[in-house]
Amino acid sequence: MTRRQRSKVSATAGLLALTALLGVSPAFGQQAAKPAPIPDAVANCLGCHEDKSLALTFKDGSTMSLFVDINDLKHSVHGSQLICTDCHGKYDQDHPSGATFPSRRAYTVGAYELCKKCHFDTYTRTLESVHYELLKAGVDSAPMCVDCHGSHNIQNPHQKRAMMSRSCAVCHTDVYKVYASSVHGRVLVEDDNQDVPACADCHTHHQIQQPGTKFRLNSPETCVRCHGNAQLMAKYGISTTVAQTYLADFHGVTASLSRNLSESQQQMVVTCNDCHGVHNIASPKLKGPEAMRATVTAACSRCHQDAAPSFPAAWLSHYPPSPRHAPLVWTVQWFYTIFIPFAVIGLILHLLLHVYRLSAGR
Amino acid sequence: MATNTGDFVVRFSFWSRFQHAMIILLFGLLLLTGMPQKWPGLAASRWIVDHLGGIFAARWLHRATGIAFTALVVAHLTVAIGGILLGRIKPSMLLGKRDFRDAIDNLRYYAGYADTPPKFGRFDYRQKFEYWGLIFGSLIMVATGYILYFPILVSRVLPAELIPAAKVMHSYEALFAFLIVLIWHMAGAHLSPEAFPMDTTIFTGKISKEKLKHEHPLEYEDLFGKS
Repeated sequence: MTRRQRSKVSATAGLLALTALLGVSPAFGQQAAKPAPIPDAVANCLGCHEDKSLALTFKDGSTMSLFVDINDLKHSVHGSQLICTDCHGKYDQDHPSGATFPSRRAYTVGAYELCKKCHFDTYTRTLESVHYELLKAGVDSAPMCVDCHGSHNIQNPHQKRAMMSRSCAVCHTDVYKVYASSVHGRVLVEDDNQDVPACADCHTHHQIQQPGTKFRLNSPETCVRCHGNAQLMAKYGISTTVAQTYLADFHGVTASLSRNLSESQQQMVVTCNDCHGVHNIASPKLKGPEAMRATVTAACSRCHQDAAPSFPAAWLSHYPPSPRHAPLVWTVQWFYTIFIPFAVIGLILHLLLHVYRLSAGR
Repeated sequence: MATNTGDFVVRFSFWSRFQHAMIILLFGLLLLTGMPQKWPGLAASRWIVDHLGGIFAARWLHRATGIAFTALVVAHLTVAIGGILLGRIKPSMLLGKRDFRDAIDNLRYYAGYADTPPKFGRFDYRQKFEYWGLIFGSLIMVATGYILYFPILVSRVLPAELIPAAKVMHSYEALFAFLIVLIWHMAGAHLSPEAFPMDTTIFTGKISKEKLKHEHPLEYEDLFGKS
């Protein structure tokens, strides 16, 4: 094969590959632009389910609308990928059969395992969550996949973080209200700001655990995921030294060495949450220096009950020592960083000179 | 002071030897419980702290040892100052001009500019400098240690910035003391050709007359006259 022939072959192969890609991609390409045409299999179901009055009555008398809004489906992440029977496969033969469920909720609980056909890894993670514990304990209202993600209208949860967080509010209403007025929550809820943590960013999703002491002890790691990100913090004029200064501080040392502590000892470890709050985190800057001092004093005296008003000044407020912030600390630090190497090198030279005299000088 | 017992001379009293042994024990415990707090991120630190029963147990031990160390420092200073005032101890550790001259002369000898080293008394300049380093280092460690032990009390009477400053000072001074002991003291007591493999005088209290004559000729002359 000559070089020209070879290049012709590779060009053809490339063209074929491109065609193949284009052939596959409309499903993805059109998802963003305009929804895919409705497949026949879906259109068949819609023949009945377009009827807004179509409803089902369960054994306990609760009802469920069987109307499916085709627009919901078309705009959902699954719109161009799944047909009705991919999820509702059970009803192929003996249709309609929903009425066999004792209640509306029982139907949803029964549908818990539908998603695992594709999302098996996610499903297994939910089995280790506090929500699944509730379900096992017989709490029917424990959230199922569809309670958070929706059903026919499922959206990409990574893009719709505000919406996902609102789904938590259905049960955790009070916590959500506090969060929604915090420095993080307010901008998520009001501006759909994607930089701030939504519920799942701290609590994780699917494998959500009861936020106990372990969660609290882990809060430095949780917070540093964003507060250690220089690029992200620069946007808001927030220092990324918060983590280092915390770790260098007395409380940070305790936290670093807190492995294997007993439950009661763990209560004595101070992490981010203990001073900054949890769902109600507010910006220290926006509060102003006066209010901030009061907040810090209150935070200190939660553990140091007999703390004097002057005590919080012992804390360097997350500033690394500098001539402006904590000049005394800065001076001591510099003195030793110069003095120690100077003295140690001098002593080593003295020792080496001794050896030199004994070996060569005599 | 030094008493003649055959080939040996008693160089250190029981009290001196006891103090040295206590320093080994207490300084060792303080390092063991303190250093992991200086470098909490190291796996070794976590291992040590875990084996001491957790950070709160380690801190408790550190403070208890610190109190014992303070007692030792106070006892040492009381005995030393009292002894000197009562005339029962010769102030042989006091620094004088001579020690600085000795240091220069000794370095000149090491560098080959002099044929003989200077003649040292009961303690040479290296021992005196180390002793005074230990005294001032101990005072710094004790003072900063108690500031960290009672931060709330300190903040009532003194500026609170002293507390983080004390923390930095305590930490660096400890590192410095550790390096001095590791490099200088160990080299002097073990690796130095005169001492290798180990200078046992501080443990037994005995020094051979020959060694005394070689290392502390002025003291030897004081005891036995010029030979």
